[in-house]
Parts: sequence; structure tokens; C-alpha cells
Amino acid sequence: MQAFDQIQELWQKHEVEVKVSADEMLQQAKKEVNGLKLKSALNILGMLASFMAIAALWIFFHFESWTTHVGISIIIIVIAVYTLILYRDYRLISKNDFTVHPHEYLNNLKTYQLNRYKLYNSLYWFYVIALSLGLIFYFVEILAYFTSIQKVLAIGLTFLWILFCSTILRKAVMKREKERIALLIEKFERIIGQISTPE
Amino acid sequence: MEQKDRLFKQIFDSNSKKIFHLCYGYTGDTDAANDLLQETFLKVWQNLDKFRNKSLISTWIYRIAVNTCLTYLRSEKRQAKDELTDNIIENKVEEFSEKNEQVALLYKCISKLEENDRLIITMVLDELPYHEIADISGISEGNLRVKIHRIKQKLTELYNQYASV
Repeated sequence: MQAFDQIQELWQKHEVEVKVSADEMLQQAKKEVNGLKLKSALNILGMLASFMAIAALWIFFHFESWTTHVGISIIIIVIAVYTLILYRDYRLISKNDFTVHPHEYLNNLKTYQLNRYKLYNSLYWFYVIALSLGLIFYFVEILAYFTSIQKVLAIGLTFLWILFCSTILRKAVMKREKERIALLIEKFERIIGQISTPE
Repeated sequence: MEQKDRLFKQIFDSNSKKIFHLCYGYTGDTDAANDLLQETFLKVWQNLDKFRNKSLISTWIYRIAVNTCLTYLRSEKRQAKDELTDNIIENKVEEFSEKNEQVALLYKCISKLEENDRLIITMVLDELPYHEIADISGISEGNLRVKIHRIKQKLTELYNQYASV
């Protein structure tokens, strides 16, 4: 038979080891937010790379038909607008630090979540339609240089790629991002919900 | 900002072990205890400027930790995890058995107590003065003494019951 004093002694003898330091602890909290920021930044970089590649194509190749110029213009404008929207969202989550302004950060995160939802839904369809329109104009001149098989391949692969991006890929990205942001919001709400408790 | 950083580090170094112990006693799971420790000190960091020395800083941190523990497991998502706590502890018992069977058993017994009782007994085991525990848990000192007496008895009973199996 053990008495409470012995149990207490047992408890106190059990040494626990805190494996995280104060610095690491704060870093860890910021890391989750930084992961989201990094992904958003990479998204923007990818769009910028596409913008530059298409601009280079326009500058360094000589196109004769007006349809090609219209096509490339549409594609470039669509990419630029989409990149600006992405940048606006990036600014939302990067201008505040959760550890410094928790309420403001949480509000921004919620706006970010809503913006991303729009981006992957209504805005995405505008993007796909405009991009397809641009490609149609672009293909008018370009396909004239191709053999019949190449034409079928170019149109078929482009169509399949757009279909893949707007269905499977879009849904997967949307689901993953939604879960990630929702988890962050849940965690920060829980923390903020108790901020007024101490003192 | 640098001063705040320094102060925070000092506070973390002098309180993190006890808070981790509290969280560990409450959850019986190292990962969950680490999460709770992190959340607690994140709140400490955010509210450091608001701390007015009305109470001891350790009392203030304990209060944050206690609220964090209670909210953590009560939130909808953690409920499912809470149900697993027993399993986690059962597994831990096996894991610990060769090293420290008695300690593992103690954690298991603590996990059998009510949520609030778990936190109170953890503070008692850590020898926090009664007036501080009363302050943290929001119970009058008179009531707390009675409650602690009851929890001590229950824990001892549980411990002896499991030890004899």
C-alpha cells in the first residue's frame, strides 16, 4: 500500500525533459505561418516565370498573323492579373506577424481563406476561359506550320492539360490548402479565445 | 523587442519544466504536452506586456496553462484524440514498463481523474501553495482544501488498486 506522500515523491523524482528552447518554440509557431507564406510566394514566382517565358516568346520570335499577337496579349494579361491577385493575397498574410498582432493576423488569415476560395472557384474559370481563348488565337497561326498529327497532338495535349488542371489538380490543391488554413485558423482562434483570460 | 525576448527566455527557462510536467500529467502524451507547452508560451509571449505583477508570474503562467489544457481537449477536434488518451497511456505503460513502471502507473491513474481534478492534483504534486492553486483554478481556498483531500484519496486508491493487479 502506498500513501499519497510516496506518490508525490514518485512524481517529483520523475524528471521531465523539455526538448524545445524558447527560441525554437517561437520559431516553431512562426514556421507554420511561414510555410503558408512560402507556398504563396512560390505560386507567384511560378506565375512570374510563365509571364517572362511568354513575353520572351513574343519578343524573340517573329509572328506574322495578328491573331497570334492577340492570343499572346490575352495570355499575358490574364497571367499578370492573376499574379497581381496572388500578390495581394500574399501581402495579406505577410504584413502581420501572429506573435505580434494576433487579432489582425487572424482576420487577415480569414480574408485570405475567402480570397483563395474565390481564386480556385469563380476566378479560376475566368482564368481558364481567357487562357483558352488566348490559346485559340495563338494556335491559328502556329498550327498552320504543323502536320495533321502534330496539330491533333498539340490541341489534344493542351486540352487534356487544361482539363487536368481545372479538375483533379485544382480540387486536390484546394482541398489541401483549405485544410491547412482551417487548421491554422482553428489553432489561432483557440489561442486568441483565451488571451483575455489571463491577468 | 530585444528586452521582451530576453525576458521571455528567462521566463521560459524558469517555468517550462513545471508547465510541461503539468501538461504531461494532463494528457499522458509527450507530443500533446509539447503542443500545449507551445500554445501556453505563445500566449505568455503575446500577453507579456499586459502582465501587471498583480500575481506571481508563475501563477499567471499556470493559469494560462490550465486554461490551455482544458480548452485543448474540449475543442471538438481534440475530443476524438481525448478518447484515445487511454490507449496512448496504455501503450506508454508498456513502453515504460522496463524503465519506470511506477511512474507510468501514476500517469495512468491521473488520467482516470476528472479533467479539473487532474490539473489540481498535478499542481498539488508539484507543491504549489494552496492559495496559488485556488487563485489559478478559481475555487475558494476552503473548498479547494476539501476538493484536494478528496482527489488525493481517489488518486491513492486508484494507484493502489492498479498496483495490486
